[in-house]
Amino acid sequence: MEKFFLAVALGICFLVLLVLYRVVFGPGVFNRVAAISAVGTKTLIILLIVGFLYRRVDMFVDISIVYALLNFIGCIAVAKYLEMEQ
Amino acid sequence: MIHRGEDVIIRTIARMLIPFIQLYALYVIMHGHYSPGGGFQGGVILGASLVLLLLTYGYHDARSRISEKIMIIFSSLGVLIYAGIGFLCLLLLGNFLDYSMLSRILHVDAAHARSLGILGVEIGVGFAVMAVMVSIFLDISTGGVLPGDEEEKEKQVPVSEV
Repeated sequence: MEKFFLAVALGICFLVLLVLYRVVFGPGVFNRVAAISAVGTKTLIILLIVGFLYRRVDMFVDISIVYALLNFIGCIAVAKYLEMEQ
Repeated sequence: MIHRGEDVIIRTIARMLIPFIQLYALYVIMHGHYSPGGGFQGGVILGASLVLLLLTYGYHDARSRISEKIMIIFSSLGVLIYAGIGFLCLLLLGNFLDYSMLSRILHVDAAHARSLGILGVEIGVGFAVMAVMVSIFLDISTGGVLPGDEEEKEKQVPVSEV
């Protein structure tokens, strides 16, 4: 089961690289914001899988909840800033 | 960034989420001994919930709850709790922040007194971090001049001239 989780984590890391292309070269700011949000959710899953691998899921669940909250608030802050610019 | 938003979805989601974020922040502060977290992290989450409130409802609506004066008072209060517990240990003939000396006041054994002392210090750190986070956010987003300050200054000018 650990090998399966490790493979899933590596696959998600590869997907993060694909999304990073959108962050760096993406046309326009909105593509970048959506891509950064997607990277945040993938990081959350990677954190949970790392928790499974270290057998300390109860700790990593706390960290990933905080990560999700800050990702959400940061996304709203960027959206508000862009709304003000227009 | 600080003006009032008109988006119903974000306002409703924020109104539903903010109490749970604050409850989670209190959990992180109180449970800092056994899980990752503690005063600083819990304070950051508590500050993030207030930043979300300011982002969605604007400074004018949130002013009765979050004003700069209250944030200054809270940051000073946090440092006072931290330093107060430290100097209390000093007064009880221990070292600075030597919590085991608190057992003379609290009438519990030394290990229990250490646990309670660390909890008190973390609550103080949480207060200070929360207040400073919100204060920094207010200063950055308004460029140092809060919307209510200009009106108050205009009111105060005639008084100073008299």
